[in-house]
Amino acid sequence: MAAIELDTTKNAVPFDRANIPGPKMAKAIKADLAGKLISKARRPLLIVGTAGADDGVILVVKRMAEKGIPVAATGNSIKRLKEEGIDATYVNLHALVSYLKDPGWKGFDGKGGYDTTIFLGHTYYYASQLMSTLKNFTKIKIISIDRHYHPNAQQSFGNLKPDDFLKTLDMVVAEL
Amino acid sequence: MAIKKGRFTIENLENVQINIGSIVSSGEAETPEGPTPAPEIHDLRDWDMKLLDRYEPVYSPVCDMCCYCTYGKCDLTGNKEGACGIDMEAHQAREAMLKGLTGTAAHSAHGRHLLNNLIKRFGADYPIDVGPSNLKAPLTQTIMGIKPETIGDFIPVLDYIEEQITQLLATAHTGQEGSSRDFESKALHAGMLDHLGMEVSDIIQISCLGMPKSQEDAPLVDIGMGSIDSSKPVLLCIGHNVAAVTYIMDYVEEHDLFDKIELAGLCCTAHDMTRYNKNAKIVGPMSKQLKYIRSGIPDVIVVDEQCVRADVLREASKLHIPVIATNDKIMYGLPNRSKDEVDAIIQDLVSGDQPGALLFDYAKVGKLAPELALKMAPIRKEMGITALPDDEEFKKLTSSCSQCGACVIGCPQGLDIDKAMEAAAGGDLTLFEELHDRCIGCGRCDFECPKGIPILNVIEKASQRVIREEKGKVRIGRGQVGDPEIREEGVNLVLGTTPGVIAIVGCPNYPDGSRDIYEIAEEMLKRSYIVVTSGCCAMDIGMHKDDEGKTLYERYAGRFLKGNLLNTGSCVSNAHISATTIKVASIFARREINGNWEEIADYVLNRIGAVGLAWGAYSQKALTIGTGCNRLGIPVVLGPHGPKYRRAYLGKPYNRDKWNVMDARDGSVQNIEPVPEHLLISAETKAEVLPMLAKLCFRPSDNNLGRMIKLTHYIELSEKYLGQLPDDWYIYVRSEADLPLAKREELLKKLEAEQGWKIDWNKKKVLEGPVRKVDVSFQPTNVPRLCKEASK
Ligand code: SF4
Ligand code: SF4
Ligand code: SF4
Repeated sequence: MAAIELDTTKNAVPFDRANIPGPKMAKAIKADLAGKLISKARRPLLIVGTAGADDGVILVVKRMAEKGIPVAATGNSIKRLKEEGIDATYVNLHALVSYLKDPGWKGFDGKGGYDTTIFLGHTYYYASQLMSTLKNFTKIKIISIDRHYHPNAQQSFGNLKPDDFLKTLDMVVAEL
Repeated sequence: MAIKKGRFTIENLENVQINIGSIVSSGEAETPEGPTPAPEIHDLRDWDMKLLDRYEPVYSPVCDMCCYCTYGKCDLTGNKEGACGIDMEAHQAREAMLKGLTGTAAHSAHGRHLLNNLIKRFGADYPIDVGPSNLKAPLTQTIMGIKPETIGDFIPVLDYIEEQITQLLATAHTGQEGSSRDFESKALHAGMLDHLGMEVSDIIQISCLGMPKSQEDAPLVDIGMGSIDSSKPVLLCIGHNVAAVTYIMDYVEEHDLFDKIELAGLCCTAHDMTRYNKNAKIVGPMSKQLKYIRSGIPDVIVVDEQCVRADVLREASKLHIPVIATNDKIMYGLPNRSKDEVDAIIQDLVSGDQPGALLFDYAKVGKLAPELALKMAPIRKEMGITALPDDEEFKKLTSSCSQCGACVIGCPQGLDIDKAMEAAAGGDLTLFEELHDRCIGCGRCDFECPKGIPILNVIEKASQRVIREEKGKVRIGRGQVGDPEIREEGVNLVLGTTPGVIAIVGCPNYPDGSRDIYEIAEEMLKRSYIVVTSGCCAMDIGMHKDDEGKTLYERYAGRFLKGNLLNTGSCVSNAHISATTIKVASIFARREINGNWEEIADYVLNRIGAVGLAWGAYSQKALTIGTGCNRLGIPVVLGPHGPKYRRAYLGKPYNRDKWNVMDARDGSVQNIEPVPEHLLISAETKAEVLPMLAKLCFRPSDNNLGRMIKLTHYIELSEKYLGQLPDDWYIYVRSEADLPLAKREELLKKLEAEQGWKIDWNKKKVLEGPVRKVDVSFQPTNVPRLCKEASK
């Protein structure tokens, strides 16, 4: 099966070539491992950027939401997410990382903060900077399931071709 | 008789000249002097800490290491400490302060250069004239406690700024400040100084150089690469400091050369050129710099300072375009020809013996630049200089692309250059045409391509059709908002019936092209917000047209009135935007402003619905302008490149104890709704930023009508762009009168059903639920000494 042969750890260089933050950079991982890590999380939060509402990607968001993962819709993804009937909360990404940083924040459901963030569908450089806030000032796990290698995440895919990206996301969801 | 500043000669004593400078006190001291005239770093620290307590700094390091001293490099990942003891948080705050200081230094050094130049030309006693204003220099008065009357009165103002910059810079040295909060207070101090430096710069040039003085109907000028007549010799001026360029314009005017030469400007110099002489044209903002040089059209380039690309001389030399440098800040290694004859310099440049010249004698620059352009144009034409590939070469280049994607990874915008190459090789230019506006013209891609394709040239060649159509109109920089305008509009602004002032300022580092900035401005104008603009984005706003071919400057008037569009001018004119809020406090609310920053900032934070948007902020100056606004209580929103400034100031609406203010009538503490919610934040897209701008215009002092209007726009913009009623709309409701009229019943039902509020349905009144009720005489303040109880 072609999908299984897909190696998501290749080409793991920052998508903005000079975006090399320091000694600690994301580990490039396979799709099934990303799925397993997400499914193990106690309090995961899927953070969807504007491109998370693109065709194809949005179906993955829907399936993850159906698995019970709460969805934070950033940028203007909320519009399409709502149209697709996905239960999501709009929040500005910059504000969200400041809430995540705050041990007193009770989360969107009032039950407490999150232990794992999953990033999908963001403007690359924007998400990269805000992952840097989480990386440097919180203990929260950062899993990027975006198309491009994100050095500030803990786990990320390498840079993927669009078709491979959608296949990868399917493989992630299959593990949930 | 008081001795005035200046020079005088004592009779019979030849060659003796006595200079009277700072013996005479500078400016008129206004009485009474406020609590913090010319504040030192610590004088406004309490105010800063109040802001920082509510709007907590959030850091997003670009680099997780500190590479500052030879103990290092130190790995600070995870907020670890470095070898000197500084932790990641303090290091990031220091970085933000340093970036801000760089911006402050750029603006105030510009001011110093200009002031020295103008004093030489016009004398220190030359009077300040900014138009119909008694309050001529609001920032100077608020910060320094003096009322300047002449340009020489600004000398001690610049002395103060320069001293403070030194003090602040010293704290960045290893082994000094260790607290992130104190670094932030210092960054805020730098931001405030920046606005002061900008005010000096613009007031002196407005006064001396005949620029528009609070002129709401300032003339329209042409903008855009397509508006430049390249059949004439083209003289291009780039930068921010118009000092040398005025001499060029005078020469061109005096010698009737405006018909024979195309005099064009790029970046803020362009704004100031058109303010000086409306025959000048604007090529465009920073993002057009490399593109326009590469077009090969300019015959001579004159540079001054700031936002001039470091590669101008290299790029220009390749195309035999001589470069004249006129300012200490940029000398490019060129020989200083200030003492040489103009004809000799022209000879060396025309022959190509020298790629350019450094000239500090502006009378010589004035003659040399246009004469050189007239000489260079036919020579360059004869040499057949064209930078862009011809059709055949273009085909070859696009077909040689191997689709490796290296350029995409190198591009700060992540543009799909590879796809556009493939399409162009197949004869379809549309992808490149779309990419052209999103491309910030940085030239990074060229360095990445393993095939050596000059990618930016390919983009520009492919986009010739759209470039020809790049013609717009900009209303030239009008300068300050006049006192009469404040008197007329102040009440609407303070009561909230004008929903807000949106200041769209800064650089062209947009996430998705310049059309967004035009659409943001248009949306807010249609909703009767006052839109104030300046700098590069004021240019881009004028680049787009409606179906009838009209730009926003042609469709909307330029008075400080709801639904108007004001271009204040170049970057230094940003000072007039912050100063407008001070004018409202002083003229409308009769607050004492002299040396009284804290009280004025407190007034602005609590009462004036003004928000800054630096959607394409790229430079250090943009950061410091934003930080200065923040210290004055004005929230600022950045585009998605903004977090690269490493720091934001964000509020947490759920932390109720952070949202307390006092009522100045009796000192009692009130818990308020979270307004304004943030001081410095970023957003990802145009659709996200529009409702955010509306929301950040809420103020605790809004009356019911004002809050209703503001809430209506917030809800409508959220529904239009985010497809939903905002999740937090109810937080801003204090009574039924705050609810949008058309939706009142529907929203009352929601308050009852979803928020558990108690409603009296007979009277359609809110009985229980809101954080607080409206009280029209509520006087919100965060400064204890302003409370009556405290002053007893
Ligand atoms: S010049 Fe344009 S396409 Fe090239 S790297 Fe810069 S933004 Fe990207
Ligand atoms: S981002 Fe850095 S390397 Fe790139 S142009 Fe600016 S200063 Fe130079
Ligand atoms: S780097 Fe050069 S060869 Fe590679 S995709 Fe870009 S243009 Fe083509």
